[in-house]
Amino acid sequence: MRKLSLAAAILAATALHAPAYADGHLQIVEGDPLELTIQMNHARYPVYKEDWPVEQQAREWTNIHLVDVTVGANMTSDSENTGRTEALNLMLASGNIPDIVGSSRIKDFVNQYGPEGAFMPLNDLIEEHAPNLKAFFDEKPHIRSALTAADGNMYYIPYLPDGKYGRAYWIRTDWLDKLGLDVPETVDEYEAVLRAFKTQDPNGNGEADEVPFFARQWPEFIRLVTLWDGRSSGSDTYHDFMVVDGELQHPYAGEGYRDGISNLARWYAEGLVDTEVFTRGSSARDFLLSENLGGSTHDWFASTSGYNRLSSEIDGFAFKAFAPPASVSGKRIEEHRRIPIKPDGWAIGGFNKHPVETIKYFDFWFTEEGRRLANFGVEGMHYDMVDGKAIFKQEFLDAGPVNRSLYQVGSQLQGRGYFQDYNYEIQWSNEFALEGIALYDEGDYLIDQFLGVAFNPEEQKVYDKYWGSVRDYMLERQQAWILGSADVMAEWDDYQAQLEKLGLSQVLEVMQSAYNRQYSN
Amino acid sequence: MAPRNTRWTRAVDHLKREWQIYLMLLPTIVWFIVFLYKPMYGLQIAFKDYSIFRGVANSPWVGLEHFETLFSNDQFFRAVYNTIQISALNLLFGFPAPIILALMFNEILHATYKKTAQTIVYLPHFISSVIIAGIVITAFSPTAGIVNTLLGWLGIDPIYFLTKPEWFRPIFVGTGIWQEAGFGSIVFLAAIAGVNPSLYESAVVDGANRWQMMWRITIPCILPTILIMLIIRIGNIMEVSFELVILLYQPATYSTADVVNTWVYRQGLQSGQYDLAAAAGLFNAVVAFVLVMAANSLSRRFSRTSLW
Repeated sequence: MRKLSLAAAILAATALHAPAYADGHLQIVEGDPLELTIQMNHARYPVYKEDWPVEQQAREWTNIHLVDVTVGANMTSDSENTGRTEALNLMLASGNIPDIVGSSRIKDFVNQYGPEGAFMPLNDLIEEHAPNLKAFFDEKPHIRSALTAADGNMYYIPYLPDGKYGRAYWIRTDWLDKLGLDVPETVDEYEAVLRAFKTQDPNGNGEADEVPFFARQWPEFIRLVTLWDGRSSGSDTYHDFMVVDGELQHPYAGEGYRDGISNLARWYAEGLVDTEVFTRGSSARDFLLSENLGGSTHDWFASTSGYNRLSSEIDGFAFKAFAPPASVSGKRIEEHRRIPIKPDGWAIGGFNKHPVETIKYFDFWFTEEGRRLANFGVEGMHYDMVDGKAIFKQEFLDAGPVNRSLYQVGSQLQGRGYFQDYNYEIQWSNEFALEGIALYDEGDYLIDQFLGVAFNPEEQKVYDKYWGSVRDYMLERQQAWILGSADVMAEWDDYQAQLEKLGLSQVLEVMQSAYNRQYSN
Repeated sequence: MAPRNTRWTRAVDHLKREWQIYLMLLPTIVWFIVFLYKPMYGLQIAFKDYSIFRGVANSPWVGLEHFETLFSNDQFFRAVYNTIQISALNLLFGFPAPIILALMFNEILHATYKKTAQTIVYLPHFISSVIIAGIVITAFSPTAGIVNTLLGWLGIDPIYFLTKPEWFRPIFVGTGIWQEAGFGSIVFLAAIAGVNPSLYESAVVDGANRWQMMWRITIPCILPTILIMLIIRIGNIMEVSFELVILLYQPATYSTADVVNTWVYRQGLQSGQYDLAAAAGLFNAVVAFVLVMAANSLSRRFSRTSLW
């Protein structure tokens, strides 16, 4: 065997590309490439492609070749990602589980079917064969806790986003200048600014057609309850639970939420918020900004800053991030942030005949070279190394939206378990985004997030039985209050009683027990 | 020869003579077996703790647990109530619409005008629900919609229709009529075409006007078709076209818009509770079966027209 590996190393040394890695230290199998089947499905890249440059580079380094066998590829792009879940269910129902299964929203799926034998537990494999993954988890024990299923095993390797900031408050600063107003520092000032946008005709067309606050996703409007010390979600998923001093709570049952909704209903009635906020949908930002109507929103740094290109069409157009206004009690918080671990990633199928090679392959993506490959593409093709840093080639940056270009070469796949490198995004964030991020870096606005729990079958049953109804009721009342068909203050006690009746406390109880089991150590 | 033998030879003779017809029937039978009878095997998951991985046969039995969950849920009953209410409105307004349309088409004498009008009313049937929903959302938008613009001319403040529970049913039923009434009129037009022309000729001789001919000849002649269509319609009373509901509803309108199928979609499919969804589906099917049986026997008793 020794001789063979020496021979392989010599062979590799004379290989065509990438002389820097020619020593073959990334190679996992010798001789003929090992073929592993993969199911991978995501809204942006429906199936795994064997001709992606990133796959070819990984194949060359590791000698493992992934073969696409995806069933039920689904392009449906909805916020709940039901399309992906359907593809996974279809795969499972067909009885053929590929060697590797990668998808968004895979966590609950593997945690449910892993213990039944559909996926392999990874703990021992990682311990014995995956030094890089082991080191990563040892360094970040909370990630390990968040990954662990109710039976104590890990069933998938997640996509781990890097960077802190997701969404921010945005405002038309040119409108502020025009009306002689300062950037709002408190909730009262914010309200005054929005009212001025409504009444003082900042777009100058003589009509009060301005839409002071708008949102692409209506829960972003509900998120404004943070300005009255309420909460709208505990994680980057809307309407999620939150942890307060180790205790699970739901934000929609808190008093800050009540006060916030009461005030937001007032804003809505006064026209400070888009009348069509619940139905306008994803085109809201594009439409309202290009029509010179929208004043302020809460949205992602990178994509929102891009709208400053409108300054070529709309005279003076400037849409800039501003720090979260101080709440009624003086707290400034930004509720949304990038969550450090997503429910996306990949897992080893239960019938895989090469689990050791597969975990080594997963481990490869956590090596320095693998992580760079997952983030930036192929060296010399998409990026160059400059002073030890991966820098995108100019022609790659110019070729259109960089994240889309990366998906097309097989990088930044969220159906792959990898650790994102925020540097990839900084290189193509525009000055407005970087300016905003610097502003958010100055203040300490971010708050801790709830990373989710894994239920055992009994807890799952209780959760399934009650949570759907509770959630429906919460959202139904929420919209009714905002739209003014009912008064939150008058209804609050009934609302609490109804939540109790629908089983909120049973849901919280099982979440708490799952949480205690998962995060106690 | 024994009678059994005679019957046997008669059947063989019959088959030899008519085999082409049975051959034509075959694809339909296969379709029924593959898509409707075979899946019935899976109905058992309504009584099981179903796991896709373990499969239908290997999942453990749980008895009536899923039905208990269903019947202890207020929102499920609200969904049942909404389904029946929307269907009843559909029946009341949506069922006569194609009949009236067919009668009206029948009275048009100008051929080109008739064909153009028919094409225009058939067209919405071929548009996908997603686009229909887009049209409806835009038309009823409080800022840009045509409906609110017209109301504005009358001095009425814009109404945010799609978030008002009281407006959901009219909008939904109206959309359904607009989309399907034209296409639905085809079957009645075919029935009208089958009426014996000599009836009209003798009526003309007797001095009947068009109105009298419609009431005394056309409608009585197509009544069997109307009744059969009604029975089928009643059988579908638990089926509201849920794609359109999902595209048009909001949490704010759940109180009137949430039907059994959308409830099942949210509770069952989105969270992977196929067993619960199957239980709700089975409940739906049983209710629909009872309704069809009732409608059929009523029809048989009062008009001697029935499905079977």
